[in-house]
Amino acid sequence: MSDPSRDDERQLVELARRDPRQFGALYDRHFQQIYRFVYSRVREQTAAEDVTSEVFMKALKAMPRYQDTGRPFAAWLYQIAVNAIADRYRTLRPTQTLDDFHDLSVAGPALEDVAVHRDELRRIWALVEALPHQQRTALVLKFQEDMKIEDIAVAMGKSPGAVKLLIHRGVTRLRDEASSLRPVE
Amino acid sequence: MNSFHDPELEEVLQEEDLRHIASVLSSARISDPPLDDAFRTGLRRQLMKEAWAMSEGRDSWWRRVFAPPGPRLAWAAAAAGVLLIASVVLMFGLQPPGANTIAIHSSIDGDRNVELHQPILVSFNQPMDHPSTERAVQIAPATVVTFSWEANTLAVQPTSRNLAPNTQYKVTIGPGAKTASGKQLSSPQTITFVTQPPATPTPSPTPRATPSNALGEKQLTTLAGASALNGQWSADSATFYAIDGNGALKVVPASGGTVTVIAADGVSALAISAAGDRLAYVRSGKIEVLIFASGQTAEVSPTTTPALVGWAKDRLLWTDADGIDSITGDGSIEQIAALPKTGSSAVVSIAPDGAHAAYREDGGLFLLDLASGKSVQVGQANATFAGWSPSGRELLYATENQVVVADMQGATRATLPHAEASWSTQDAILLGSDTDLYQVRPDGSSLTRLGNGTYHTPAWAPNGTAFAFTRGGALWIAAAPALPPLPTTLEQAATVVNAFMKARLDGDAANAGTFLSDNGKKAYGTGSLNLLIRGDPKFTRYYVLAQEVIATDPDSALFVVRLVLTHAKIDVSDSEETLTLARDSTGGQFVIDQATAGSRRDLGNGAEVVNVDVEPDIVKVTFDSDLDPGTVTDGVYLVDSKGKQVDATVSYASRTVTLSGLGLKEGAQYRLVVKTSVRDVQGKNVPAEYALDLIGPTDKKHGNKKDEVPALPSPAATPPAA
Repeated sequence: MSDPSRDDERQLVELARRDPRQFGALYDRHFQQIYRFVYSRVREQTAAEDVTSEVFMKALKAMPRYQDTGRPFAAWLYQIAVNAIADRYRTLRPTQTLDDFHDLSVAGPALEDVAVHRDELRRIWALVEALPHQQRTALVLKFQEDMKIEDIAVAMGKSPGAVKLLIHRGVTRLRDEASSLRPVE
Repeated sequence: MNSFHDPELEEVLQEEDLRHIASVLSSARISDPPLDDAFRTGLRRQLMKEAWAMSEGRDSWWRRVFAPPGPRLAWAAAAAGVLLIASVVLMFGLQPPGANTIAIHSSIDGDRNVELHQPILVSFNQPMDHPSTERAVQIAPATVVTFSWEANTLAVQPTSRNLAPNTQYKVTIGPGAKTASGKQLSSPQTITFVTQPPATPTPSPTPRATPSNALGEKQLTTLAGASALNGQWSADSATFYAIDGNGALKVVPASGGTVTVIAADGVSALAISAAGDRLAYVRSGKIEVLIFASGQTAEVSPTTTPALVGWAKDRLLWTDADGIDSITGDGSIEQIAALPKTGSSAVVSIAPDGAHAAYREDGGLFLLDLASGKSVQVGQANATFAGWSPSGRELLYATENQVVVADMQGATRATLPHAEASWSTQDAILLGSDTDLYQVRPDGSSLTRLGNGTYHTPAWAPNGTAFAFTRGGALWIAAAPALPPLPTTLEQAATVVNAFMKARLDGDAANAGTFLSDNGKKAYGTGSLNLLIRGDPKFTRYYVLAQEVIATDPDSALFVVRLVLTHAKIDVSDSEETLTLARDSTGGQFVIDQATAGSRRDLGNGAEVVNVDVEPDIVKVTFDSDLDPGTVTDGVYLVDSKGKQVDATVSYASRTVTLSGLGLKEGAQYRLVVKTSVRDVQGKNVPAEYALDLIGPTDKKHGNKKDEVPALPSPAATPPAA
């Protein structure tokens, strides 16, 4: 059974492929998630705007050559974004603190548990920032953007197996480093 | 708390504590980042404008129409006529489009960076009467154009094929334009846009053969389980000497020929002398030195167990637990530098020039100067050695997250992405890892991805083209493309000028001031020069009118920058500043050292010079208007410092006056003069005599490329088998 939202997206993509003036609908649909992803990586509004502009402008210009491989259109946009961020920020690290971005006020459990969890969350995401670039990107796309492995593979230009390996290595490293940071009880 | 379950990750996150980490990661909620709605809508508008341009350009009908003269010209829907157009400025019609309203659209309206090689496309919302509409088109600056139509879109193309650079165009459709049904345009409508600077030719990278399979990767031999490369290239880059996982010393031809074995086992380290004539290696507690020319092997028996070998020119060095040793002239062994007695230390590498060694002590990385015996710590406690520059005067070390380029005092020069690194004789650094390979300059610039896949312990060959690496326990070879050329002296200076001018445009005086030397600050602190230009008309854009390198060693460059002032979106006046740039006291970055101001001129009163290209033998002066060729020969010329006109051959084409056969003297003063006798095609004279002071340029156009590395002789003899 086909997914109606995917069918709808395919139609929009096909229209924009034939006539770039139809690209606006795709922009409206994906702007928020791409901007949010870019901002999460660069954490500076002007830089996020620059990179987001670059992503959509490149996507528009490449639309006539876009080929539907069965993966969501967003995976392709993420791929452009991942490359754009890597090109501009490979040697730089975001400077803004994580607390400004990741919402650490988890609702649900008792307040004390929430505080402990929030602290752990902050600590783990801080460690993510120190991971090698590829591992970091794979973790962010998986756990922050909630993408499927195959879509991450498209976005990162790798095989699904390679993405899983990156996630495994990243999570293992986080485990090792988190345990070394854990206060002695 | 561990509710994490993701079927996609089941196979890789089997351990409980890994799933816990994944659970924590996935529980983070993402707040909405700060977002300027104006940005969102502005970007959409920009995209739609681009989309319209793409849509119009897709059929490239105007390209066919305006192809070089020939049979295709007849394809035009309407005959293209040549028209001389008067320059006027009219108000914009803003009525909403409707059945009875003539609406006009152009995708470049308001654009401030329009490409030079394109027609001006004007779209109407209904069929137009072609002759009356073409007659109603007015363009400023004065330009000779041709017309063509595709459906309801009119293409206006300069006959010189290009638009003038750095120029604001005003294209007005006057009320004489009629629709096909005879209805007249109610009010004039004007499109304005600004064109780009002229394209500057960039030197192309040194050609290097591009292998058909990307980097031409080739597996040469297996390394018996060794995952990291332990070995060295021969000086002529024809052979790699590798130690495999069993301690065998192998001679591996880069061309892929037969691999021979010098020593079957027990080898732990090797080094080839700087001249490339000898190979020393540590084997079973002794050092053997193979002389390539004769194929003979000499043996050295240190009193303590050697760990590494190296060369200081032709002098053999080796390390042991206490320091670095060598042999004296009488054949006795002497320690030339000692490791600290405190703590646990071990040498990890000897520099290629044999002047320094890197060693670890209690988790820290240190550099030992073999001549003085002094040490400095490099990086923090977790730093690990990652490589030397080919000269041995800089080193690479790795931290947890990055590779650091440092000098011999441990001072950071640049940081690079984390990877295993190798520094070439051409100043390119390879960065290899499990997943990809990058190439970058030592200053962190020109980062280029070369490939996806495993590239462990890359090692450049001395020729700076080939490199070795390990993948899957085997030795591989590949060739990397050249990095883009380093910026020329003029490009480096232009970067500073552009950053300076952009800061001024942004109203950021503090930032602009950082590009000024003390002299430059004085120039902008007194007299007629102001860093920030306020008021109306407003400073909205600038462009470089002329640029030249006027001296070398030390480098100096001259830039003439034109500042354009705008009122109600129309450029109304401009003024010039002449900037002289020099390298700062360290000889590195350019700074603006002198500045002088010219007077302000009103625009729109006749032809204006918009670009001057200066070379020792030729000066090209580009105008914004098409000129009356008959007025050019006596109207544009160069005089020397004594006021004497410089002999030149004058020619004119496509708005550009060319003075050739000049022979300008480097550093001498000249003045370009444009007389008021020069007229545009409308018959309007240049409003006031124009003068531009220039300096005879050097012919240093490009620079900073390293000389090719001369090939050293290949080891003559095939080494004897062990």
